[in-house]
This record gives sequence, structure tokens and C-alpha cells, in this order.
Amino acid sequence: MSWNEPGGGKKDPWSGRGGDEQGPPDLDEAIRSLQEKLGAIFGGGGGGNTPGGSMKGFAFLAVGAVALWGASGFYIVDEGNHGVVTRFGKYTETTQAGLNWHIPAPIESVEIVNVRRQRFIEVGYRSGGGQQTLGSVPKEALMLTKDENIVDVRLAVQYQVKDAKAFLFNILNPEMTLKQVTEAAQRGVVGSSKMDFVLTEGRSELVAQIKQEIQDVMDAYNSGIQVTSVNLQDAQPPEPVQGAFEDAIKAREDQQRLINEAEAYSNDVIPKARGAAARKIQEAEGYKQQVISEAEGEASRFLSLLSEYKKAPAVTRERLYIEAMQTVLSNTNTVFLDVKGGNNLMYLPLDKLINQSSSEEPASIPAQSGTVTQTRPLEPVFRSTTRGREGRGR
Amino acid sequence: MTVNRILIGLAVFLFAGLMCVFTVSETEKAIKFQLGEIVKYDYEPGIHLKLPIVNNVRKFDSRVQTLDMTPERFLTAEKKNVIVDSFVKWKIGDVKTFYTVVAGDINQANLRLDQIIKDAFRSEFGIRDITQLVATDRKAIREILITKTKSIAADLGLEIIDVQVKRIDLPADVSTSVYRRMEAERERVAREFRSQGSEAAERIRADADRQRVVILADAFKEAEKLRGEGDAKSAEVYASAYSQDPEFFAFYRSITAYRETFKNPERLMVIDPESEFFKYFKNQK
Repeated sequence: MSWNEPGGGKKDPWSGRGGDEQGPPDLDEAIRSLQEKLGAIFGGGGGGNTPGGSMKGFAFLAVGAVALWGASGFYIVDEGNHGVVTRFGKYTETTQAGLNWHIPAPIESVEIVNVRRQRFIEVGYRSGGGQQTLGSVPKEALMLTKDENIVDVRLAVQYQVKDAKAFLFNILNPEMTLKQVTEAAQRGVVGSSKMDFVLTEGRSELVAQIKQEIQDVMDAYNSGIQVTSVNLQDAQPPEPVQGAFEDAIKAREDQQRLINEAEAYSNDVIPKARGAAARKIQEAEGYKQQVISEAEGEASRFLSLLSEYKKAPAVTRERLYIEAMQTVLSNTNTVFLDVKGGNNLMYLPLDKLINQSSSEEPASIPAQSGTVTQTRPLEPVFRSTTRGREGRGR
Repeated sequence: MTVNRILIGLAVFLFAGLMCVFTVSETEKAIKFQLGEIVKYDYEPGIHLKLPIVNNVRKFDSRVQTLDMTPERFLTAEKKNVIVDSFVKWKIGDVKTFYTVVAGDINQANLRLDQIIKDAFRSEFGIRDITQLVATDRKAIREILITKTKSIAADLGLEIIDVQVKRIDLPADVSTSVYRRMEAERERVAREFRSQGSEAAERIRADADRQRVVILADAFKEAEKLRGEGDAKSAEVYASAYSQDPEFFAFYRSITAYRETFKNPERLMVIDPESEFFKYFKNQK
């Protein structure tokens, strides 16, 4: 009963009552005519309308219903999506982006699948909300390596649908399957590698191998999923041993630090030694100069005196002698002792005499025999012998 | 009235029609029963006919199912325990067998599969050590397991797509000792670094000290040489001056010495008044 059936004249549903009107369809007119038809049918059913009229109304209604039903078959596929069309459950076609039409339900139905959106799964961790806190999931993250060590690996797998039909029809719960396959693949790849390789230089190679393995298996299942990227969020030693690992790294730095400190010491000590050495040599130079100059000074002093002495030796000698004695005797405590008296025994309280030199009071202690007089220096005594020049320097 | 008749007739026709057809989607497999007996079971997706009331149809999910097995402990060839978590991907192979053997119940099928697979695991794991399980023989084990279980699974009406080991883990206490071993190894490495660093540092310091000693010793040598030169030169100067009149030099130097020696008033001199100095002393008296 389609509206362009031959034999009935052009029963165009959008045109007015006069079925042979070829003018452009007018919406208001169409609605009005529809209402008229409906009124005609229901009005005609109760009353005694001509059977021909109600037949016509019914026909129009049927045609309208069919048209509406047909219009429900239109659907829009957004950009980046595919539409999978099935007829009575059997797959017929995959439609692209744009306006499409299928035979309306219940004959055909369409399911829209986004084939461009990047989806992702997390293995070994969960990022809650933002990406600030990465909660580790130890069951998923810890795995054995080839050398029977344990590492903590966190992966993020990005994927998209490459075949909408396969994605919808082949596997029950494709996302869960992807996660299982990822876990198996990562453990297989990590398990074939040594721990140091996994933790350090092997990351990119591991990721490439894992991605390849996941894709191979998912293709073998005909899952319709394309793995776009596998990201190694982290590969580190398990938490209980992280301290020891960090300490090993620290130890390497300590090693360097010790060497640096030693070199700093070396750079400090050697120049200082050179400095001290230079000083020693300079001091020796100075001493040499000093000693030579002193010698030259004394020598010239002597030679000057000598030349005068040579002119009048006896007198000069006498004079020098007496002058010297004068200085000497006036600067020291002296005790005159005349031994010619003939006595052999004499008592000299020397310790007392020595002690008296430190007191201010002059005293004379007579000896038991012989004459003893004591002189004292005229000036008070300055005891600072280190400064020989002051006090009584001559 | 004609209208009503037409409407009623249409409704009856549609209703009858619905009773006579059923659809099978791409994700389903269907069995048509006639009074409890299977009549047909290999249906393509689409619309099919059946007799109303006499026939009834049961549908089953034809997609790949997963049996995610509970982790199980197995003994390796080295008599070590490992905890294995694995999964099986299967789908309905022969739906008739599937229905008759496990009554079309997916859980039932999974249970039966679980036992079969675990047996196969046990025998494969028991003849290998951990390194083989985790690394080298992984793929081989997978092949063997799939082959082994294929025929048994077919008896259940199932088709095995894949058997994979998801995780091989050590039991918790063994893990702990593995951690300890890892820690100990790291400690060894750390100690090695630090002691190598100390060794190198000590060498550098010792060398620096050695250089310092050498530099100072050389300087001492040089300094003594210079001092010696100074002493020699001054001695030469003295000698050349004093040797012009040695006797006078003796006199002069002695009285200077006397003067310098007896500077200190603490010294006590006991003098004989007969000395030369006091020549005129007595005569005055």
C-alpha cells in the first residue's frame, strides 16, 4: 500500500484532496487535510456515510501510518561513528557518517559505535579523578622477571574500535577481554626480561613488544579493537624494597661525593703546601740576607775600630776594658771577697744574697771574716729579660 | 464495518505471523525444539519460521565467553609453589552438544572447563621450573594447553579460542624472601659503590699528602741550602775582617761578651778585689 503504487493515480500524501494536484506540498494544508481525513473516518464510522468515503479515509490513514513508520527509519551517524545495521538480527551493512536510512523496526535496527574515540584501560594502578594520586593495585602491578625478581609495572592502554561489526558481535565484554590479554601480555614480556632491563633501558622495547602481543591476540580473537598506544606509566621496584634500591642509587652518588671531597682536599692541601714551601724559602733567603748583612755590619764596625785601635793600641785597649767592666759591675750584684786574710773557712749566705736581689731594701750582710760589701744596682730592676734592649741595654 | 473487519483481520494476521517467526541475531545461536526434541540447530542470523505452540526456540550467546579461573596453587619441577591466575576464551562450538551435555548453562560449562584446564596446568607446570614458566616456555605452554583441551572441550560442545596464563605469582611468604634477596643484592651493590668511593678518595688524599710532604721537604732542602750560603758568606765576612788582627778580635769580642752576659742584676758575682779592674781601688784607700 505504498503511496506511489501504480493504478491509483498519484495519491501523493502531501498534496490536497484533489489527488491530481502537482503543486509543491504545503505543510499547513497537509495537516488540515489529515485532520479532515481523520474526522471523516471517525465521523463516517458512526454515521451513515457512504462506504466509499470511509474506505478512502482508511486508505489515507493507512498510508499516513506507513509513511510515519518509514520516516522512523532515518538516522544520523555522527562524525567518527559507524552504524551497524542488522535485519531480523542478521548483519547487513555498516554505514558511515551522515544521514542514513534503514528499513524501520522491527525489520532492521542500527547500533551506533564510536570508532574514533580513544578509550583506555589502566593496569596496575587506578588514577582517581585527576592524575594526582596513582593508587597502585599490587595484584595487577607486581610481576616476576626472568631472573626471579619482582617488579611493579603500571600500564595504560589506549584503544579504539576499528571494526564496529566485530566489536559488537564477536566477544562478550571486549573491554574486560582487553584487560585480561594486557595482563597476560605484559607478564609474558616482563617475565622474559631481566629486572635491570625492565627498570632502566628496556622500557621502550618492552612497551613495543607488549603492544604487539596484545594486538596479535586481540586480532586472533577477531575483537575489532585496535590498540593505539601502550604507555608505561611506571616501572619500579616493589614498594617493600624501594628503600634498598634508592640506597643503591644514593651509594653511587656517595661514591662520587667521596671522590669529590678527596679532590677538594687535594686541591686545598697542595697549594697550601706550595705556599708554605715558598714561605720557607723566602724566610731562608731573608735569613741569609740578614746574616750576611749582620756580618758585614759587624765586620765594618770592627774594622773601623781596628783602624783606630791600630793608631793607639794600648790606650784603646785599656779604655775598652774599663768601660766594659764598669757596665758589667754596675748592672749586677757583686760581692767582694778578700781571700788574702788567710782564713780558709768562710760562710757566704749566697742564697740569701741572691734572694735579696728581688727585694727593694738594700742590705749588707757582713761575712764572718774578711770584708764584704755589697753593691746594688742604682736603678730598680726590670725583669723582662725577653726585651733585652729596654731597661739597661747598652 | 468493513473497516473493522479489515482491522481485525489485519491484527489476527499479524499475530499469527509473529507466532510463526523468530529472529536469530549475530550474537546468538538457536535450537528449535518440537515437543522437547531438538529438530534444528544450525541457524544463520536472520529471520526463521517455526510452528506456533508446537515448536519453541531457545537461544544462546554465541560470542566468545571468558572463564576467568580462580587463582590456584601449582607445584613446579623445583618443588616450588606458584599461584597461577589464568583465563580461557571459548565459545559454543556445537550447540546441540552444548545443550545436551551442560544443559546450555554457561556457568556449568565454565565449571567443567575449570577442572579440565587445571588438570592440564598441573601436569605442564609440574615438569618445568619457574624461569621456564615465566619466560622461555610461555608460548609453548599456551600451545600445549590449547591442543590438550580442544578435544575435551569439544565433548562439551565448546570451541576453545585461547588459554592464557594471566599471572604467575609466588606465594606471599616466598615473595617476602624474594624481597629480602633483592634488598640484600642492592645492599651489596651499595656497599661496593661506597667502598670503591672510599678507596678512590683515600688514594687521592694520600697522594695529596705525599705531594705536600715532598714539596715541603724540597723547600726545606732549598731553605737549608740558602741558610748555609748565608752562614758561609757571613762567616767569610767575619773571618776576613777579624783575621786582620786576631788578637784584638779576641779581646774585643770577649769584653762584648762580658757586657752581654752580665746584664742581669740577678746574677751574683763574687769578685776578688785584687783583679786588674780594682788596681786603683785599693791604692786609694
